[in-house]
Amino acid sequence: MLKPMSCKLLVIGAGPGGYVCAIRAGQLGIDTVVVEALRPGGTCLNIGCIPSKALIHAAEAFEAAKAAAEANNPLGISASAPVLNLAKTVEWKDGIVARLTGGVAGLMKKAGVKYVSGTARFENGETVIVATDMGEQEIHAENIVIATGSVPVEIPSLPFGDRIISSKEALKLSEPPEKLVVVGGGYIGLELGTAYAKLGSQVTVVEAAPRILPLYDAELSAPVARRLAKLGVEVLTSTKALGLSPDGASLRVESEETARSLPADKILVAVGRKPHFEGLGLEELAIDMEGRHIRVDDRCRTAMRGIYAIGDATGEPMLAHRAMAQGEMVAEIVAGHKRAWDKQAIPAVCFTDPEIVSVGLGPEEAKASGREVKTAFFPFAANGRAMTLQSEEGFVRVVARADNHLILGIQAVGAGVSELASGFGLALEMGARLEDLAATIHAHPTMGEAVPEAALRALGKALHI
Amino acid sequence: MSETYDVVFIGGGPGGYVGAIKAAQLGLKVACVEGRGALGGTCLNVGCIPSKALLHASHLAHEAETNFAAMGLNAGPLSVDVAKMLGFKESVIKSNTQGIEFLFKKNKVAYVKGWGSIAAPGSVKVKGEDGSETTLAAKNIVIATGSESTPLKGVTVDEKRVVTSTGALELPAVPKRLVVIGAGVIGLELGSVWKRLGSEVTVVEFLDHVTPGMDGEIQKQFQRSLEKQGIKFILGAAVSGVDASGADLKVNYTLRKDSSTASLDADVVLLAVGRRPYVSGLGLEAVGVALDERGRVKTDGHGRTNVPGIWAIGDVIAGPMLAHKAEEEGVSVAETLAGQKGHVNYDVIPGVIYTDPEVATVGKTEEQLKQEGRAYKVGKFAYVANGRAKAILATEGFVKVLADATTDRILGVHILGPQAGETIHEYCVAMEFGAAAEDVARTCHAHPTLSEALREAAMAAAFGKPIHS
Repeated sequence: MLKPMSCKLLVIGAGPGGYVCAIRAGQLGIDTVVVEALRPGGTCLNIGCIPSKALIHAAEAFEAAKAAAEANNPLGISASAPVLNLAKTVEWKDGIVARLTGGVAGLMKKAGVKYVSGTARFENGETVIVATDMGEQEIHAENIVIATGSVPVEIPSLPFGDRIISSKEALKLSEPPEKLVVVGGGYIGLELGTAYAKLGSQVTVVEAAPRILPLYDAELSAPVARRLAKLGVEVLTSTKALGLSPDGASLRVESEETARSLPADKILVAVGRKPHFEGLGLEELAIDMEGRHIRVDDRCRTAMRGIYAIGDATGEPMLAHRAMAQGEMVAEIVAGHKRAWDKQAIPAVCFTDPEIVSVGLGPEEAKASGREVKTAFFPFAANGRAMTLQSEEGFVRVVARADNHLILGIQAVGAGVSELASGFGLALEMGARLEDLAATIHAHPTMGEAVPEAALRALGKALHI
Repeated sequence: MSETYDVVFIGGGPGGYVGAIKAAQLGLKVACVEGRGALGGTCLNVGCIPSKALLHASHLAHEAETNFAAMGLNAGPLSVDVAKMLGFKESVIKSNTQGIEFLFKKNKVAYVKGWGSIAAPGSVKVKGEDGSETTLAAKNIVIATGSESTPLKGVTVDEKRVVTSTGALELPAVPKRLVVIGAGVIGLELGSVWKRLGSEVTVVEFLDHVTPGMDGEIQKQFQRSLEKQGIKFILGAAVSGVDASGADLKVNYTLRKDSSTASLDADVVLLAVGRRPYVSGLGLEAVGVALDERGRVKTDGHGRTNVPGIWAIGDVIAGPMLAHKAEEEGVSVAETLAGQKGHVNYDVIPGVIYTDPEVATVGKTEEQLKQEGRAYKVGKFAYVANGRAKAILATEGFVKVLADATTDRILGVHILGPQAGETIHEYCVAMEFGAAAEDVARTCHAHPTLSEALREAAMAAAFGKPIHS
């Protein structure tokens, strides 16, 4: 047993929510300890957002080089057919991950945060026992933040192991599987499925809902569906994954019309994520749950005084940037600042091809809230920059109140639109009206010009369509 | 002429064509006079759009050379078919300019082909290709004639070996040695294109720094970044002339610090020392339209010249020579003519350089704030600490936010970094709202995006500390 520690703030989990909370708290002079069982950075940095974006980037580059090797590419750049060494790509990705997680550790240190490596378990509402390499470490804290994140949901008939993999294993394959079946047509499945299709795998996506990306509206998901078809990805919607075939080499699927067996070298199961509390000892606490996640108020307080929860542990949307914002807020609350969750907009981004961004309400959601809405889109086909980038697929769409033109939501689908999301978020935070966006000068030639055009169109007439 | 137009725009560039469309949308009877044979002006025909098409086309070559090996990709040596690349560029131009013709038809703007001049207030003379002359009666005339490449004494442009941006967009082959005179936006973008395609590029600049007028820190890092790519710079050098008599071009220059002279050999010389307003042959003197000391049409800040019924917008008047500034002025004048209150906010006009990394800037530079004596604070964040930048092998550069020391109001934003031209718009929106750095710092930014770096810089300005550095 190590000598007990005590601190003002203890953060359990050093993912984006936890480490940001700890750094901000340290910056504000709070005596802070963070506990992490694995490497700092959580799912996001180690086996999620960052490594997947590295793989997606490599896949895009490979695809572009393949296009250049084709006789009729229009750009006039030619090369021999590119060769992929996925093991090396993975090594490169691992290097990025190592630099970032090392960076996070350094930032915590710089902010004066103590880092304890081990698995935490609640003893009671003020005490946590951490199983470390050197034995058990007891930590007493005035405030404790649960930032334990989430894990992939397993399908009982398709337990992870061998050829059935989660997103984590999909990021460290030594070569592209010849045949990859993706179970789940949400953003994780499609991002990785698209990357592997570009890297040479024959990809089939199995989705139980009637269309892919069921969390986005059909207008937004349609360009992605078109691109998947062009990449040769077979998409089976309204189809359920049942289990492996008797020889274990295929996935049995079933729709209303038909039952099939899909040969697969790897089966990526990406049907969602659930909060991770295993071994945490939540039962020792008097906190309230809401389904699978912890219930929190607008200050991320649980039902128990001094205990907060942030990030995926608090449910949807399970996004790193939401967790970070919550973490920052809790650190400031613990420091005595008056803070509450007042975000108007949390952008959601899909790094598919093309990318999708959604901030605020979509047209149907806005209508469902009983308001009269104005909505308009501006296609990238009428945008000069998009033409020069050979990225004319997609559009920017605005949703606003019909009576006073207050913007309720902005969505976009297209190449690189993930970087437009912040502007959308800011517009919503500022309470912008259509006229405000229409009158903000956007640089020429940029994809961003589609934003004021969409606003103008909602007001009656766009200039360039 | 029997019919009288409410407004005639002379020039079908971004200012003129956008103004014409807007005016027509507001119910005015509109004509737009253009002699080039295609709408879209410099921007669409020989400027922004074609240069971006070539930058995109050459980007892959750059990526393959610098980043592929690290990612486990091997594409072998690349070869460039310049004629085909130019064909791609032409196809982009054509679809853009034809798009405008379609928009004119749709909005009922009369497209009058020929070179326009002002015969008298209310009367525009149009000289057609075939020499025919017609006259348009107009209640209002908008001068939207744009700009042309500024000549330099001792340098004779033939658009073959000694070229302006126009010729640099159609070189039939990759020049072995390209000398660029002028380290402004145009010179650096086109210099980058040909460098990526294999040219040895040397930039000769009169001043002691690149991109005059930009924030000093950006200038320094930007130059370093281009030097790393192999572009050479000779700064503080006055070009005295280009000798085109031999097989090699000779660029003669004098170093300003010690008046020593030297010369550079080149296969192609790109003259890019700036642009000047295009006012010749418009009949401005005869109708009494006043010009300022730099030969630009004088306006009242709302597009009005000193002659009632004659307006001017875009490169031909004061302000940055940017397509989007011209467009906004076109819209503003159209709105004013339609009885609305047109207005351009000159404090929030972004500027972008499409090099790699890109440069984007809006608002005041640090030097300007110092000169104004305004108390300010600086927030900076480097892309090397941004996850997405690492994942796309583009960690060069930084974001710099300047905010008022007491109110925290954002005064200027300067970015050197990947996709800076797209990400800067969030700050344009913020500045239109008079936002404080804290407003941006407290806005949820999606992860993992490059835009997170913009927020971290705002945090550094607002709170003194970003999270990730």
